[in-house]
Amino acid sequence: MDIDTATAARLHNLYWSFATVAFIVVGSLAIGKAASSVAAWRGGSAALQRRAFWGYLFASPWILGFLIFVVGPALASLYYSFTDYRLGRPLEWIGLENYRVLIEGLGAHGRRFTQAMYNSFYYALVGVPLQIVTALGMAMLVSRPMPGIGIFRLIFYLPVILAGGPAILLAWRYMLASNGGFVNISLSSIAQSLPGLDWLYRSFIFVVEAFNAFYSGISRGDPVGAFSYLLPSLIGAAVFGYLLRGEFDSGKRETAARLAEVIAIVLGLTLLVRGLVAERIDPAFWLGCAFVAAISFLLWRRKRLEPRRLGLTFAGTGILGVLLAVRLVMIEDGHFSAILRLLTLSSPIARPGDLDYLEDVFPALLPSSAWIWGTVAVLAAATLIPALEKGQRKTLLGVSTGLLALLALGSLLDGFRYFAAFGAIAETSGSPVFHFALFRQVASTLPGLDRVPLWLQNELWAKPSLVLITMWSAGTGMLIFLAALKGVPSSLYEAAQVDGAGPVQRFFRITLPMISPAMFYNIVIGLIAALQTFEAVYIIQTPRTESSLASAAYFLYERTFRQLEIGQGAAASWILALIIVTLTVFQFRYSRWVHYEG
Amino acid sequence: MKVDATTRPPAVLSDRTARGILAGAAFRRRTVTLLVYAVLVGASAFFLFPLAWMTGTSLKTIEEVGQPQLKLLPETPQWSNYGELLGESSFWRAYGNSFFTVGLSLLGTVGSIAFVAYAFSRLRWPGRNLVFGLMMGTLMLPVQATLVPQYVMFYELGWLRTFNPITIPGFFAGGAALVFLLRQFMLTLPRDLDEAASIDGANPLQTWWYVILPLSRPAVATITVFLFVAQWNNLIQPLIYLQKAELYTMPIYVAQKNNLQESPLPWQEIMAASVLFVIPVLVVFLLTQRYFIEGISMTGSKG
Repeated sequence: MDIDTATAARLHNLYWSFATVAFIVVGSLAIGKAASSVAAWRGGSAALQRRAFWGYLFASPWILGFLIFVVGPALASLYYSFTDYRLGRPLEWIGLENYRVLIEGLGAHGRRFTQAMYNSFYYALVGVPLQIVTALGMAMLVSRPMPGIGIFRLIFYLPVILAGGPAILLAWRYMLASNGGFVNISLSSIAQSLPGLDWLYRSFIFVVEAFNAFYSGISRGDPVGAFSYLLPSLIGAAVFGYLLRGEFDSGKRETAARLAEVIAIVLGLTLLVRGLVAERIDPAFWLGCAFVAAISFLLWRRKRLEPRRLGLTFAGTGILGVLLAVRLVMIEDGHFSAILRLLTLSSPIARPGDLDYLEDVFPALLPSSAWIWGTVAVLAAATLIPALEKGQRKTLLGVSTGLLALLALGSLLDGFRYFAAFGAIAETSGSPVFHFALFRQVASTLPGLDRVPLWLQNELWAKPSLVLITMWSAGTGMLIFLAALKGVPSSLYEAAQVDGAGPVQRFFRITLPMISPAMFYNIVIGLIAALQTFEAVYIIQTPRTESSLASAAYFLYERTFRQLEIGQGAAASWILALIIVTLTVFQFRYSRWVHYEG
Repeated sequence: MKVDATTRPPAVLSDRTARGILAGAAFRRRTVTLLVYAVLVGASAFFLFPLAWMTGTSLKTIEEVGQPQLKLLPETPQWSNYGELLGESSFWRAYGNSFFTVGLSLLGTVGSIAFVAYAFSRLRWPGRNLVFGLMMGTLMLPVQATLVPQYVMFYELGWLRTFNPITIPGFFAGGAALVFLLRQFMLTLPRDLDEAASIDGANPLQTWWYVILPLSRPAVATITVFLFVAQWNNLIQPLIYLQKAELYTMPIYVAQKNNLQESPLPWQEIMAASVLFVIPVLVVFLLTQRYFIEGISMTGSKG
C-alpha cells in the first residue's frame, strides 16, 4: 500500500506527540519526587513535602519546556553569536565580530541590517502614532452605548484576526496595485470630482514622497547615522525646557527626574554599545566613562546615596573602571590627541567601504562622545543625587537642556550638510543611487495631474503601504482603549461641564490623562510589534522594494533561514532582544508614573 | 458626556423656556447620533472592504481581473474558480495539514496550559513565586531570541521537514501570556472548593480534573480561540520548518500563489484560495467574539 508523504508525516507526528506526553508525565513525576526529596532533606514537614511534590508536578510541563526551549537555546544562541557558525560547518570563535558588523553597518549584510533597523524605526515613528490615533478614534466612536454598537465593534476588530494571515495581505496587495488598482482608481476619481480636492491629493503625494525620500536618504547613505542623537536630544531639550518654565514644583521635579533618567539611559547605552563593538573609536568616549565613574565614586565617598542606588553606582563604577583600564592599555592614538578631541565638537567616524565616494562631498562627522558623556553625567547627577536642593537641580537640568540642544543642533547640521551634498553625489558617482535622483525630482515640483501613489512598487511608497495596512488592523488597541474609556468616571465629565469646559477641553484635560496607562501600553506593544513585523513584509515585498520594507525580524529570517548564517543571525537576534527587553523594562518602570500623572 | 446638564432645567425657568431647551437638546442629540452612525458606517466600509474585494474578485473571470476597474462584483459569478481549486489535491492536502497541525497543537497547548495554570493559582508550594517570576520573565524575551537556536536544535534532531517543530513545543505550556490569563481566572474561583475536595479525599490531580477544570471552561475557551487564530495564521514557523510541498499548511500554500511567475497574476484563483483560507477563522471569530473582547480587556488591564 502506498502511503503519501503528508499522511506519513502526520503519523510520524502523532507518534512523537505520544512520546512527548509520556516524556512530560515521566519528567513531571521525577521533578515532583525530586522536589519532595529536597524538602525532606531540608527538614520540611510531611505536609510541606506533599505540597512541594504536587506543586512541582503541576508546574513541570512549563519547567521542562523552559529548560528545553528557552534556557538551552538562549545559551546556545549567545554562544553562536560569537562564532561564524554556518549550518553543516564547524564553528569558529570570532568574538564580537558579528556584533561589530551589524551595529557599525559594515559590508553588504551590515548595511542590510542597519537598513532593516531604520525601516523598523520608521514603522515605530510613523506607523505606531498613526495606529494609536486610529485606535483611539475607533474606541471613541464605539464607546457610547447606542443600539447596534456591538456589531460595529465586531467589524472594527475583525481585521486583526485576518491581518495575521497571508490571505488578506494578498488582497491588499491586489488593491494597492498602482496601475488600475482599486485604491488608486477610487482615490483619483474622488480627487478629480472637485478642483480643491485635486490639490489636496497632489500635496498628499508630494508630502509622502518628500518625507520618504528624506528618510530613505538617511538610512541608505549614512548608516552610522548623522541623526543618531537628534531624536533623544531634541525630545529631551524640548521637554526639559518646558518643565523648567515657571515654578519648579515637586510634581515637575519628579517628571523631570524620570525623563532625565530615561534620556541618560538611552544615550549612555548607545555609546556603551558602540564603544564595545567598535574597532577604533574616539578615545574621548573612554574618558567620558572615567568622568562618570569618578562622579559616582565621589558621591559614594560622601555617603549621600541610599543603599539601593549605592549598589547601582558601585556596580557602574566598577564596570566603567574595568572598561577604561582595558581601553587605555589598547589605545593607539596617544593621549594628546585624546585630549584634543575632547575640545572639539565633532569627531570623524569610519565610513563603510562601499560608501567611499561620499567622502569628498560629505566627510562624516559625529558629535564627540565627550559631549554626550558630559550630558549623560549631568543628567545622571540631576537624577541620582537625592540631597540636591530645588534650585541646584533646576540648574543642573538647565545645563543639560543646553547640552542636549547643542547635541540636537550638531546632529541636525550634519544631516543638512548631508542632504546639501545630494546633488554633488548624484553628479560625481556617475550612476546615482536611485533615491538621490528621485529626491531632487520630488523636491522640485508638485506632482502633475496624472501622478498616482506608487504603493508597493516603489521604495518611497512601500513603507507607507505597510503603515496603511497596520492602521487598518488597529482593533486590538481599540479594545484596550475601550476598556480604559469605560473606567473614566462620568462624574469628572459632569463636573467639567458644569465648569464650562467644551468637548475639546474635556478630551485633552480629562479623557487623555485618564486613559494614559492604556496609551502607554499601546505604545510599548506597538513599538515591539514594529520591530517584529514579518508576515506583511514577507507577503507584500517585491525584489525592488524588499530592502526598503525589510524589518529587523525579516532580516533575521533571511540571514538565518535562507542563507543559514546562524552566527550572525544569532547576533542580530540578541541585538533585537536587547532592544525589546529595554523597552519592556521601561514600560514596567514608567507605566505607573503615567498613571499617577493622570 | 452621558449626562447632559440641560436635561434638568432649573426651577426658575418658565415652562415654555424649559420645553424649548429640552426640544433643542433632543434635536442636537439626534443629529449627533445620526452623524456618529454615518461615520460608523463609513468606517465599517473601510474595515470590511478588503474582505468584500477578496470575495468579489474570487468570482471574476481572468479578463475582468486584468482590467482596471472599480467593480466590486463580477458580471456573472465564476463558481468554477472554486471548483478548480477544490479539484486540486494539493489544496486538500494543505487544508488537511493545517487542520491536523492546528488541532494537535491546540490539544497539547490548551491541555498543558490548563495543567500549569493550576499550579500557579491554586497550589501553594516552596519556590512558586520564583518559578512564576521566571515565567513572566519569558514574556519579555522576544520570539526571535530563541528562534535561531531552536532551528539548530530541530536540525540536529532531524526534525526539519516534519510537523514536530510546529506541534511539539506547544505541549510544554507554550505561551506565558495565556498561562497568566488562565491563572488570573482560576484565582477568582472560591478557595473553599479545594478544601471541600481535599476533605472528601481528593488529591490535587482529582481536584484539578473534577472541580477546577469544569469551572474554568469560559477562560479555557478564551485561550483556545486565541490559540486557534494564532495557529491558523501562523506563517513563519511552517515557512522555516516545512520545506516540502507535501507538508505545506494553508498559510504557505496561499503565500506561494503569490510567487507564481504568470503574468498577469491569476488574482481570481489567489483570492479564491484566500477566501477558503479565511472561512474557518472567520467562523470561529463570529461564534466566539465575546471571548476575544474579554481576553483582550484582561491582557490590557495588567499594563
